[in-house]
Parts: sequence; C-alpha cells; structure tokens
Amino acid sequence: MKQQTKLSQEQQHAEAHQTQQQAGQEFASAEEVLRFDAAHTVVPPQIARRLEESTGGGAPPRRPWWKNLLGR
Amino acid sequence: MNPPVTGQSPVVAAPGAWAASGFGSLYDEHSRAIYYLALRFFGDEQKAEDATHDVFLKAFQRMDQFRNESSVRTWLYRIAINHCQNLVRSWHNRNVHSNADDSIWENSAAKTDSPLRVLETKELGQRIQTTLDSLPEEYRLLLLLVADEELSYEEIAALVGQSADAVRGKLHRARKAFAARFEQTA
Repeated sequence: MKQQTKLSQEQQHAEAHQTQQQAGQEFASAEEVLRFDAAHTVVPPQIARRLEESTGGGAPPRRPWWKNLLGR
Repeated sequence: MNPPVTGQSPVVAAPGAWAASGFGSLYDEHSRAIYYLALRFFGDEQKAEDATHDVFLKAFQRMDQFRNESSVRTWLYRIAINHCQNLVRSWHNRNVHSNADDSIWENSAAKTDSPLRVLETKELGQRIQTTLDSLPEEYRLLLLLVADEELSYEEIAALVGQSADAVRGKLHRARKAFAARFEQTA
C-alpha cells in the first residue's frame, strides 16, 4: 500500500514536471525576457583575444594626477 | 542572420597582460552587457562581435578621460550606443519599421501585464530578435537598457538624452509594443 502511494506520488511529480515543461516559461515583462536571454548569451571568446592584440597587451593610459586635482 | 549563441554562459576571462592592468576585470564585468546590447541592436553576431571589440578598444584608449562622475557601465554604454548608432547611420541600415506610426503599437490588443509565454527556450532568441527588429530603434534601445538591472531610470534617461519621465512614458509604450509583437512571433 505504502509502495503504491509512493509510486503514485512519483507519478504525480513526473506529470507535474512534464506539464511544467510543456507549459514552457512565462515572463512578466519584456525586461524579464531580455534579462533571461542576456543571461544565456555567451560572449565570444575571440573578442578578448582580438582586444589583446589590438591593445598590444599593454595597460590603458592613466588619467594625469593634475586632472584629478583640478577636477577636469 | 545566425542565431545567437545561447546556453550556460560563463564570462570568458580576458587573457594576457592587459588583464593584469585592471582593464581585464573591467572587460570581464561588462562585456556581456555590451555584447548583448550590440547583438540585439544589430541582430547579427559578427556585427555584435566587431562592435564589442571596438567599444572596449575605445574605452581602453580613452581610459584617461573617464571621470568617476558616472558608473563604468554607464560610460561603456554611452560609447556603445554612439558606436552602434553611428554604424547604423553609416550603413543606411535602418529598420523598415523605424518610422512606423507609434499608434500601431499603442492601439494593439496586447496588455503589458499579460505574461509572455515561451514554449521552446531554444527559439527564444529568434523570437526576441524578430520582435526587437520590428520595433522603432528608440523602443529597442530603451528596452535593452531597462533590462539591465544595474541602470537606473535616471541613468537611462541620461544615456538617451531625455528626461526620466519621458523615458518612463516611452518605456510603457515600448513594453506594450514588445508584448504585442512577441505574441505574433509564437
């Protein structure tokens, strides 16, 4: 009896999971869809490699100290 | 157009010496946001890749001009938006709907509070792109910016050169337009 109950629970769980999968996903707004999409977008690794080549692998120019002092 | 690469997406660490300069961590932190903006702005992976490279190269070259008056993210977005818009203008690559009467969208049946349903996640990117491509450029940009939770309405307003109230109003219409078009792509 107990085994039957457990089996039934597992079946219910599986059915619920299947229903959830069939129903897909719901997003409350355009922003949510875009956030989901952005989070699953992979930045191509070659961009970093190209950047390293383009910058010569050096450090970016630093803001002169006197500009910080004068607030320019 | 090739579909965008999707899946679990760890940000790839920037390689080499410039990574050690601090610019690498800046790239790691913001590259996804900039790439995504360019990807959905152009709807083309190669253009997005080139634009992301160019935006970060400009940022690298202008690092000494960055003042801490805005966040780095906002600064990068400003470079990216200018870059993308200049490219679009130079290509004369305007979207066919970019001059469409807004009332088409405003009078649409879709409500912004209706959930947007997606059955197949793998098709989501294509549906989003089709939807965004059909919207006026201004709406597309606003939606992409507001989707970034790091940006406030005030920062978005500054980026698009409008008041925060104007941005809120346009976003309402943009969301409605997006929902209406997204439903049609199902």
